[in-house]
Amino acid sequence: MKILVIEDEQSLRENITSYLNVDGNICESCGGLTAALQKLADYDYDCVLLDIGLPDGQGFDVLEFLRTHHKNEAVLIISARNSLDDKLKGLNLGADDYLTKPFHLAELKARLMAVYRRKALNTNNKLIFNEIAIDIPGRTVEVNDTPIILTRKEHEMLLYFIANKGKVISKNAIAEHLWGDEMDMHDNFDFIYTHIKNLRRKLLDAGGKDYLTSIYGLGYKFISS
Amino acid sequence: MKLAEHYTRTSVYITLTVLLFGAVIYYFAINYIAQQQLDRGLQQQLTEAEEYARSNDQNPQLYDLDRDHAVFVKTNLQQLQKRFFDTTYFNPKEQRAEAGRAVEDLVKVKSSNYKVVIAISRAGQKYLIEVITIITLTLLAGLLFVLFITNKYLLKGLWKPFQLTLKEIKQFNIADVDQFTGKPSEVDEFTELNEAIREMSLRVTHDYLKLKQFTENASHEMMTPLAVVTTKLDTLIQDETLGANQLAQITDIYSSINKSSRLNQSLLLLAKLENKLITEEEPIELDIILAEKMQQFQELMQSKNLSLQHQLQPKQILASKYLVDILLNNLFSNAIRHNNTGGVVIIQLTTHSLSIKNSGGANPLNTDLIFERFQKGKESQGTGLGLTLVKNICQHYGYTIHYHHETVLHAFVITF
Repeated sequence: MKILVIEDEQSLRENITSYLNVDGNICESCGGLTAALQKLADYDYDCVLLDIGLPDGQGFDVLEFLRTHHKNEAVLIISARNSLDDKLKGLNLGADDYLTKPFHLAELKARLMAVYRRKALNTNNKLIFNEIAIDIPGRTVEVNDTPIILTRKEHEMLLYFIANKGKVISKNAIAEHLWGDEMDMHDNFDFIYTHIKNLRRKLLDAGGKDYLTSIYGLGYKFISS
Repeated sequence: MKLAEHYTRTSVYITLTVLLFGAVIYYFAINYIAQQQLDRGLQQQLTEAEEYARSNDQNPQLYDLDRDHAVFVKTNLQQLQKRFFDTTYFNPKEQRAEAGRAVEDLVKVKSSNYKVVIAISRAGQKYLIEVITIITLTLLAGLLFVLFITNKYLLKGLWKPFQLTLKEIKQFNIADVDQFTGKPSEVDEFTELNEAIREMSLRVTHDYLKLKQFTENASHEMMTPLAVVTTKLDTLIQDETLGANQLAQITDIYSSINKSSRLNQSLLLLAKLENKLITEEEPIELDIILAEKMQQFQELMQSKNLSLQHQLQPKQILASKYLVDILLNNLFSNAIRHNNTGGVVIIQLTTHSLSIKNSGGANPLNTDLIFERFQKGKESQGTGLGLTLVKNICQHYGYTIHYHHETVLHAFVITF
């Protein structure tokens, strides 16, 4: 997958780029509107990560550009403004999703994969990871061709882990992904543990490998091998 | 007591006093003038009588006057001070006694002295004075009445601009976009007052806006560094050489960042609410949303072993889904977070109110403080803005929210 990161904050840009540059993904980046429009004019990308507040203009212009040039990159907006207006405006202008700063890289990656999948419109809309096959629209999971029944949360988690395979993900990030940051339940990670335990058991019971490892109480890692 | 009443009272008292004094003085003055006039008439008659007596050298008793009683009496007195006095006068026509005025004097006719007494009726004068008194009293009563009415009604009209200004001040909300205008008035003082208030409100609003802008900008500016820290940490934890110790530290850093960012979000949202910047509305089936929320929070309730009771009647409101979400999230989170293990959460929705009750501490919360910013329990992990947001969202839609405590239940009730 080819990704363009448009973000003016250099350290943020670097972190995002290095996090996304795995699994054969190609991630390029630029720090301003002019450079972004130049890159988009010259190349095609699968996904664009777009910061709305750019030093030399509004990120919305990128969306306009994509629309007028009939390009169909999937766009994920990142913004420091958790403003509903911005969000709606962005989505109306053809962005696919909207993420508010601060965000976890794992969340970014999972959202990016989701918008990409939606945009890519695979005829075979299955996400295959080793012996695990996930039918995205049907919300069904098979392990070694054996269907397993997952709760909605477990299903979300599995997608999330697969999107971030090989990465250590903090409990904070998982909690935020599952319950949204409005749930305000960050002082309670017990239920995460419960979900992970159940998910792991279901995968193992169906003959899957044990992918999930706990990292010193900080979080979890979904092994990519 | 109102200013108008004060004014009316004072003006009536003063008017009354002045008029009463005036009336007394007036009465005596009129009396005196009338008496003077009578006395002048008497003096004239006396002179006439004396003239007659002297010129005719006759018995002055023969001096005959049609109407007046002139009585000459021989006297041995050599000296008599001429005096005027009140007496009774017998009216021969009417055949009755009337109040009268008389004069007595000594008249020398040749060698003998006569005491002459001339009396005239005072009835006409008295009548005149009575009429004048009645007219005066009537005028006085009329004047008082008019004064009273004027003060009561006309002054009320005069005070109208003031009342309007007052009303506007009462309704003045610093966060409102529309400013204080004040109704134009023909009274200089009111115009001046309006002007002063307008200037004051402009200053206040200006300062407020600046402060708010600062809050917003500060919050926004803080989001980016927070994002940097978060992504740095996300990158850092990928390092496999980190030990449990460092990772434990990082976990705490995550929590703090999380808190900061939520605090920022809440402050921003408060600023927006106060600015009335959230305007989108859609019909929301509150009962359905509540059912969803119960589903959403189910696990958390289970983790604390809470039992949920609910009675939901269908209720539709017109509001922003986003705000309703925040409102309910906060109320639900509180009901769960501040609950005892094995406690209860009771949710009741009727067409006119929504109440969320939870078991918890035996002591009621301080109703004055719970909706204030950054007021939270000692053990609370929240931002201290949750209930403030709840209250502001309620205010935004004109709902009222109040808290009460019944035995072991803490209840928050929103009335639509």
